[in-house]
Amino acid sequence: MIEAVALTKRFGSIVAVDDLGFTVGDGEIFGILGPNGAGKTTSVRMLAGLIAPTAGSARINGHQLGTDTQRIRAISGILTEAPGLHERLTARQNLGYYGRLYGLHSAVLRRAVDRYLDVVGLAESADRRVAGFSKGMRQRVAIARALLHEPEVIYLDEPTSGLDPSAAKTVRDFVETLRDAGRSIVVCTHNLDEAERLCDRIGIMRGTLLEVDTPERLRRRNGSASVRVELVGARRPASFLDLLAELPFVEAARAHDGTLLVEVAEPRGDNPELVRALVAAGARIVAVREEAVSLEQVYLDLVGEAGERDARTVGASN
Amino acid sequence: MRIGIVWAVVTKEARELLNNRLLLGAVVFPALVFASIPTGIVAFIEANELDSNQLAQLDQYIGHFPDLAPRLAAQGFIVLNFMAYFLLIPAMVPMAIATQSVIGEKIARSLEPQLATPMQVSELLIGKALAAATPAVLATWAVYLLYGIVNGAVADPVLTRLIFSEVWQVAMLSLVPLICLLSVMLGIIVSSRVNDARTAQQIGGFIVLPVIGVAVAGFFSGQASFSMQQVLIGDLVVAMLIGLALVVGNWVFDREAILTRLG
Repeated sequence: MIEAVALTKRFGSIVAVDDLGFTVGDGEIFGILGPNGAGKTTSVRMLAGLIAPTAGSARINGHQLGTDTQRIRAISGILTEAPGLHERLTARQNLGYYGRLYGLHSAVLRRAVDRYLDVVGLAESADRRVAGFSKGMRQRVAIARALLHEPEVIYLDEPTSGLDPSAAKTVRDFVETLRDAGRSIVVCTHNLDEAERLCDRIGIMRGTLLEVDTPERLRRRNGSASVRVELVGARRPASFLDLLAELPFVEAARAHDGTLLVEVAEPRGDNPELVRALVAAGARIVAVREEAVSLEQVYLDLVGEAGERDARTVGASN
Repeated sequence: MRIGIVWAVVTKEARELLNNRLLLGAVVFPALVFASIPTGIVAFIEANELDSNQLAQLDQYIGHFPDLAPRLAAQGFIVLNFMAYFLLIPAMVPMAIATQSVIGEKIARSLEPQLATPMQVSELLIGKALAAATPAVLATWAVYLLYGIVNGAVADPVLTRLIFSEVWQVAMLSLVPLICLLSVMLGIIVSSRVNDARTAQQIGGFIVLPVIGVAVAGFFSGQASFSMQQVLIGDLVVAMLIGLALVVGNWVFDREAILTRLG
C-alpha cells in the first residue's frame, strides 16, 4: 500500500510537486495523468526513494520514506521514463545485473530472468546485445527489469510507450495480473485510453493532484452527459428546441442533421422524462443514445483550468 | 558495504569494457608504446657500436652505474629512466575508462534504474572505481613484466635485474594501483558534473597534470630512477589524495543531483 501525505518537492524556487496526497491500495492500479512537467516523474522518484521530499511524508507498505528508504527501494519496482539499458550487454546480462543488485542469486536469479524474458516475449533474443534492439524491445527489457525481483509496489512510467498494439496489450494484461496478485501499482501516462482501460483510479496532476477518482466518476463529475436523440418524420429537430429549453433538467440542446443533442446532468434519471416530453410534443424517436463525456475532455478541462489559474497567479504576483 | 553488490558492478563494467574494443585498445596501447620506445633504443645500442663522441654524451648518465660496462650502463639508464612513464599509464588510462563509464551511463540514462535499487551510492562508486582501475593496473603490470624480460633478452640479464629492482617492485605493487584509484576517483568526480566524456577527460587531464609533472621532471633531471624513499612518500601523498577524493566523490556523486540534472 502506498500512502502519500502532503508530499512536496522544491528545486530552488521551483515547486515541482505541491501537497501531493493519495493512497494506492493492495491490488489497485492508480494512474497519474498529467502534461509534461506536471510533476509525475518527480512524484514517482520521491515515492521510490530516489529523491527526498522537501516536505510531507509517505509510507510504502508500512515503511516510512526517509528512514526506511533502502528497504523501500528493495520492495519497489520502477519502470523509468527512458529504458536506460546497458547497451553493450545482452538482455539476459542486463537482467542478471539488476537481479543481483536486488539480492537475487544463482538458481533463483536464473529462473527469474528466464521467466521475465518469457513474459515480455524476449526469450529468443535473450542473448543478443540490447544495442541492436528496437525501441519496443528495449521497453520490454526495462519492464522485465522492473518486475524481476517481484516488487510489492510497482511504478510504471509510460509502460506501453514504443510498443506495438499487440505488445501493449500483452503488457496491460500482465499489469492486470500483477494487480490481481495484490501489488500496488502506479502508472504514469499521457495515454488516456490506456489509463481508462487499465487504472482503477486516476489522479489528474498538474503540480498537485487536481482530481482523484475512478475514470467513470471523473467523467460524471466533470461535465454533463450528452444524449443523442435521433428523429424521423416531417418535423425538423430544431422545432423541438424551444420545448427542451423549458425542461428544467436540460442544460443545453442543439439540433444537428436529423438529431437532437441534449445535455443532461443525470442521464439515468433524466432520459425517460426527456423521451416522454418529446413524444408528447409529437416527436418520432428512432433511437436515444447516451454519449458520455470523454476522459480526454475531463483531462483537458482540468489541466486547462489549472493552467489558467497558474497564469493568473503569476500575473498577480508580477 | 556489500561485497556481492560491488562485485556485481565490477563484473558488469568488465563485460561492458570487454565489449568496447576502442576503450580496450586505449588500455593496452599506451603501455605498449611507452615500453617499446626504450626497448627500441636499447636494441639499437646493442646492434651498433658507440663511438667516443656518443660515449662522451652518455658519460653523465653512465656515472649512475660505475660497475657496468659503458654500453650496458647507457642501456640501464635508458630502461630505468623511461620507467617513469609506467606511472603515467595508471594516471591516464583509468580516467578514460571511468569518465566513459559514468558519462556513458548518463547519456544512456542507465544511472536512474541503478540508483533505484537498494544499492548504495558508495557501492556503485567503488565498483566502478575497481572496474576502471583493475585493467589499467593489470596492463601496467603485464607490460612491466614484458619490459623486464624483453630488455634482458635483447641486451643483458642485468637490465632485467635493474627493471625488477626492489624499488620498482614496490612502486609497481603500491604506487601504480594507488595512482590508478586516484585517477579513477577524479574521473568519476569530474564526470558527475559534466555530460560530455571529452570535457571530463580534459578537466581530468588538468587534475592529473601534477602526477605527469613529477614523472617528466624525473625524466629530465637526469635521475636514473626513483629512490625507495621517494616511492614511499609518493604512496603516502597519493593515498591521502584518494581519501580526499573519496570524501569529495561521495559529496558530488549525489543520487538526487545526478537524477535531477539528467532531467
